[in-house]
Amino acid sequence: MDNGRDREKRCEIWAIGGGKGGTGKSFITSCIGDYLASEGKKVILIDADLGGANLHTFFGVSKPQNSLTDFFERKLSLNDIVIDCGIPDLGLVTGALGSLDSENIKHVQKLKFFKHIKSLDAEYVIIDLGAGSHGNTMDTFMLADKMIVVIVPELTSIENMYHFVKNVFFRKLKIVLDRHGLKDLFLETWKNRESHGIKNLNDLVSHLKEGSVDVRSIFDKEMSGFRIDIVLNQLRSSRDIMLGLSVKSVCMKFLGFHARYAGYVEHEESVLKCINKRQPFMRTYPYSNVVKEIGRLSDNLIEGKEVKTSEFVCRRL
Amino acid sequence: MSSSAEDYNEYFRVLELCSDASFSDVRNSYLHLKALYSGDSIATANIPDEFPEGTRQNILGQIEDAYSKLVGFFEKRGRESGCKDRPAITFDDEFKEYLAGMTSFNGPLLRQIREKLGIKLSDIASYTRIRKQYFEEIELEKFSSFPAEVYLRGYLTEYAGYLSLDVSRVVSDYMNRYRLLTGK
Ligand SMILES: Nc1ncnc2c1ncn2[C@@H]1O[C@H](COP(=O)(O)OP(=O)(O)O)[C@@H](O)[C@H]1O
Ligand SMILES: [Mg+2]
Repeated sequence: MDNGRDREKRCEIWAIGGGKGGTGKSFITSCIGDYLASEGKKVILIDADLGGANLHTFFGVSKPQNSLTDFFERKLSLNDIVIDCGIPDLGLVTGALGSLDSENIKHVQKLKFFKHIKSLDAEYVIIDLGAGSHGNTMDTFMLADKMIVVIVPELTSIENMYHFVKNVFFRKLKIVLDRHGLKDLFLETWKNRESHGIKNLNDLVSHLKEGSVDVRSIFDKEMSGFRIDIVLNQLRSSRDIMLGLSVKSVCMKFLGFHARYAGYVEHEESVLKCINKRQPFMRTYPYSNVVKEIGRLSDNLIEGKEVKTSEFVCRRL
Repeated sequence: MSSSAEDYNEYFRVLELCSDASFSDVRNSYLHLKALYSGDSIATANIPDEFPEGTRQNILGQIEDAYSKLVGFFEKRGRESGCKDRPAITFDDEFKEYLAGMTSFNGPLLRQIREKLGIKLSDIASYTRIRKQYFEEIELEKFSSFPAEVYLRGYLTEYAGYLSLDVSRVVSDYMNRYRLLTGK
């Protein structure tokens, strides 16, 4: 509450993660960034996939002049390593090519990184995260105002996403309770979960809340805003559209956190063609369905809205 | 008053909707959730810790309960605001006999009944807010566009209800035939 004024001024941060590689996180990041910029917003994209940085390729930038390496090793400020990716109002911080893996980033560096992200000169900062549930990846994800996951209609992708978000939720809960001096209670309860009949996060949360009024009020204040936005990518049939709604339902009814189904993007052959030719998709195929879907999805994200239920039953591809 | 309003919010929440959702939102969401939790989906696979059978049944019960409460809510609201009602259909003896002579309801027969009653598909569509095409396809027994069986069943229920037919008989006949035709 007391830093309300700062929040008003600072950029809005979106993080795109979700566990599995190859679902289209980087592609979606590049498209949303392009869309927002074309709508007149000032946008900066950050490639935080420190293992497999390739966001620049989606814009046809071949050899980035500057990268996150310069931030972590040469102590340049984040604002100074934003490069031009050929699209007005769209800046890019390219990932560290190979030389850094997230294990090597020290805690202080991470905090500095987060501080610099918040003070970037932009309206929207979109962070493209790598696969996996590494601590640094989760912390960067949690930093965001919008935590976005990209999944595809495939069991393994959905499974990894659940796993990732559960880990993030657990980590956040631990951090929040730690801040209130309740970390021991938290860890103790989780360690002895079997004797408490706790099988999952939902049970853990209920158990902790039942046991103490303090925990309940802390939870209501600091965890009830925990919400993920789901993006379903690479749809191959209209029947799959509903899958996003199903995944959202499972998150809310079984995994214990809020979720929204922000949008879907269909599979289009031209995507691969564009990537291989190093052409920015949104500008190369401006009349494609994917471009329309990215637009709707981004508008939903901005406004905190969802795919309308009428679309599931009425729309046919 | 305020406590009953809160209850309805809870029913909307169970169906994962905002409290200003329309009745067709409610129905769509109900049909989807019911299909999701009574069948198999890649969205519910591989979360055994969170998804034991008992919980699943519990959730299905809550969904049913929320839906039936909300149906009541919308009916009441419709009456209060003088919403367009479905026309009262009364069968004369001849028509009753004609219906009684039916051994089993199928698509073409339903169409015949509807036409005899002088009802247009667009009337049913605008009353139920379900797309006309779905009713056409029920009559033509073209099932490919229904995203899941519960939708077919749900829309058929609305259709038969609109025609004032014996809903449970129509649905059970028709669904038997559906399984036969699709091998499900
Ligand atoms: N909507 C789409 N239609 C077709 N292909 C897609 C789509 N989205 C992603 N892809 C393909 O998936 C590949 C992996 O995408 P990428 O964004 O690099 O995934 P991630 O960053 O999640 O690892 C891309 O090279 C592209 O060929
Ligand atoms: Mg990537």
